[in-house]
Amino acid sequence: MSGNAIKINVLLFGACREVAGISEFCFALTAPADVASAWGELKTRFPNLEKFERSALFAVNEEHARKDQPLQDGDTLAVFPPVSGG
Amino acid sequence: MNLMDIFEITREPIDKLGLEQRLLTGAAGAIVTFDGVVRDNTKGRRVVSLQYEAYEPMAVKEMRRIGAEIREQWPDVERVGFIHRFGPLKISESSVVIVITSPHRRVAFEACRYAIDRLKQTVPIWKKEIFEDGEEWVEGQAPEVSQ
Repeated sequence: MSGNAIKINVLLFGACREVAGISEFCFALTAPADVASAWGELKTRFPNLEKFERSALFAVNEEHARKDQPLQDGDTLAVFPPVSGG
Repeated sequence: MNLMDIFEITREPIDKLGLEQRLLTGAAGAIVTFDGVVRDNTKGRRVVSLQYEAYEPMAVKEMRRIGAEIREQWPDVERVGFIHRFGPLKISESSVVIVITSPHRRVAFEACRYAIDRLKQTVPIWKKEIFEDGEEWVEGQAPEVSQ
């Protein structure tokens, strides 16, 4: 599947949403893709996200995910700062 | 996981007594409730209100996961309930209520403490403090999963 395009749904929350100025969108990545390559593409589109380079957290299909997690066509990737609920 | 356990995210004020009543069974001898409320100051700065944002479906899943962890660590727990509110909240309003019931008090105290500590680490909810002269997102602690 190398070289094929896959579609990823992206959700941004909290301060990440605010600096990017968008909460939800769709984009294409070249396979094989993982969270790290999607994050790289996001920072290119929204350079202000660079300030979250060290702190950003990720979830794939509503499960916490690491940067090396592979992404498949149709996956939903959420990007957010460390949680501060409670 | 117990099907009678409760995991909810809501924009509405939290009905704390209602949650306790929904979870109370004859087998319980103790109810421990944690009620997190909005404080009017942070590091000496006056807070006017808080704004909470949630990744709703994932937040419910993560609370459910904490419920399962509790049942594994404290099999004597009778019922588990979490309600987290989001949207704008005023001073002294409840942002989160956690209720644990058990036959005896020790287990309910321990499990409730664990529940709120874990919630602050894993449940995807964020808060912004609104001050008289500005606003700021509260920075959570980065967990190890990120690296």
